[in-house]
Amino acid sequence: MNDSQRAIDVRDVTKTYSLGDVKVEALRGVTFTIARGEYVAIMGPSGSGKSTLMNLLGCLDRPTTGQYFLDGSDVSTLGDDQLAAIRLKKLGFVFQGFNLLPRTSALKNVALPLFYAGIRAKTRNATAADQLREVGLGDRMDHKPSELSGGQQQRVAIARALVNDPAVVLADEPTGNLDSQTSEEIMALFHHLNDGGRTIIMVTHDEDVAGHARRIIRLRDGRIVDDQVTGKG
Amino acid sequence: MRLTQYFAEAFAVLAGNKIRTLLTALGLIIGVMAVIAIQVLGAGMSGAITGILGAFSDRTFFVLPNQQQADFTRAAIRLSDLQRAKYEVPNVVEAIPASAQNLRGSYGHTSRRVSVGAGTDERFAASTPIRYGRKLDPDDITLARHVCVITQKAAVKLRITGDPTGGSLRVGEHRYRIVGVLGASTEGILPGPAAYDVAIPYTTYEREFARARAIVFARVLMDDPSKVTETEIAMQNWLKKVKGGRVEYQTFDRKSFSKAIDGIFGAVTFVVALIGAVSLLVAGIGILNIMLVSVAERTREIGLRKAIGATRFQVLLQFFIEALALSAFGCLVGMLLGVAIGAFVNGQFIVKLSGITAPIPWARSIVIATGFATVVTLAFGTYPAWRAATLDPIEALRYE
Ligand SMILES: Nc1ncnc2c1ncn2[C@@H]1O[C@H](COP(=O)(O)OP(=O)(O)OP(=O)(O)O)[C@@H](O)[C@H]1O
Ligand SMILES: [Mg+2]
Repeated sequence: MNDSQRAIDVRDVTKTYSLGDVKVEALRGVTFTIARGEYVAIMGPSGSGKSTLMNLLGCLDRPTTGQYFLDGSDVSTLGDDQLAAIRLKKLGFVFQGFNLLPRTSALKNVALPLFYAGIRAKTRNATAADQLREVGLGDRMDHKPSELSGGQQQRVAIARALVNDPAVVLADEPTGNLDSQTSEEIMALFHHLNDGGRTIIMVTHDEDVAGHARRIIRLRDGRIVDDQVTGKG
Repeated sequence: MRLTQYFAEAFAVLAGNKIRTLLTALGLIIGVMAVIAIQVLGAGMSGAITGILGAFSDRTFFVLPNQQQADFTRAAIRLSDLQRAKYEVPNVVEAIPASAQNLRGSYGHTSRRVSVGAGTDERFAASTPIRYGRKLDPDDITLARHVCVITQKAAVKLRITGDPTGGSLRVGEHRYRIVGVLGASTEGILPGPAAYDVAIPYTTYEREFARARAIVFARVLMDDPSKVTETEIAMQNWLKKVKGGRVEYQTFDRKSFSKAIDGIFGAVTFVVALIGAVSLLVAGIGILNIMLVSVAERTREIGLRKAIGATRFQVLLQFFIEALALSAFGCLVGMLLGVAIGAFVNGQFIVKLSGITAPIPWARSIVIATGFATVVTLAFGTYPAWRAATLDPIEALRYE
């Protein structure tokens, strides 16, 4: 695989939390690459380090040792504000709990990253509206989160993750708060996005949900124990 | 980065929580209101008093024995002393007792308590307008006539309508012919003609009310007002010489009066403004508290904003501007109330009672009050904003 095709390149990354004298090794040397356009599920038992890995991939945290190249550049040693800039430009987040701003319309929620990018209100709203249409919520732009179903809220969150045209979309248990019917819809949406060329990395406990991905990385005790391409795609 | 956007969002947040916003801003509102109103009223009041003093002739000063002295009886001033003073002290034209008492006065069927004072001719009043008749004249004084000049206020009190000159006013056991009614007065505090409801010639007063009693204090009329200091000293020294022994006197003129009054008002205004400042400080602590609560409540929101790429500065700015918006709201309401109260009390009471419209430093009062409130808000709003800005996004997103 050519370097320039790699969305993500993780080299021998460890993460150690120290709680006083006790050291918790959440990641004990993880190496993998993810190419552009891949759709990867990360699985593993509770406490295996999935969220820790996602936080590193999402530039919310720095590895204790090892290197992490995102979209071709080393981000493992950047400062807080530089990481914020990377998150703003290259990453999109989808959370289990949606994390939409309450009392704020779907349109404004989706436009939020563009606000921090310093884009004019008019352009912001137009781009956000396009994005909402793409996730099938063209008729819900002015609804507040409290006026939307869980599935719709997650669609708004996905639109927000996509609005800055990120290199990678990261989703930590995006269907964890949804019923199976709605989960299917969200999975279909992710599938559709991946078909359109989006790179998606998703943490899940659910084998059915993971089955939608084209590749599954399995973690145990902070190490990769399995990494295989599914029959999908 | 668009500041207007930050302000719009901040106002939306404040509007979304109206009661809390109002309660938090209340401290600021009261503080700003108090500081403005106090400055306005202070200026109005001291302006009015300076104005009142200004209406009083600068050809006059007052002399009185010191209260605390070994031989107070010996120091007492008598009418005979004053009558000699005008011949023996240079620059003194006239010296008269400044005495008055409250007595029952009757006109027609109306009878009221009025203040009756020792008056003299018009040289002692700089600018008291006359409404009917005339002021007291030198003949009234030398002949100790049974005449009086009343103020307009006294005329109202005694239900006198129209021109009463020539009529008779009964005070105690004596009858006085009304020779004049003074117009609206600007001279209400110092013992000048308009300070008494009824002014009779001081010679008459002396004979009928004071008799040989000691004079509490005396008014001295000078020929040349520019020599006031020398004349005051000369008057004191002359009295000391006449009385003999260790006696002490003090003098007051327009300047020393207004200095003393300015001093009092300066001190009062300062103390009350200080209280206002303290209340603003307390309001600042209220803002600190509520902003900390707001940051804690919105921890997940902050985590989200940081996760999607907001920098520390952008988060700082958001909460900082929220505090600023709160302060702007408090300042605006406080300013409106402060100006309204200041204008109302000044107009309805100070100006009405004194008849003097003093210049009010509106702009300065507003700038001081809102400036201080803003500084306080900035000082207390920075910490919560900094707390928000430095939150760890992972922990913030996990926060329940
Ligand atoms: N901030 C932290 N401080 C200390 N230890 C931590 C911290 N975050 C995670 N850990 C520890 O690191 C290990 C991995 O945690 P992580 O959250 O990555 O697990 P996970 O695979 O996401 O589990 P789950 O499926 O329950 O979400 C756990 O043992 C956890 O206790
Ligand atoms: Mg987890």
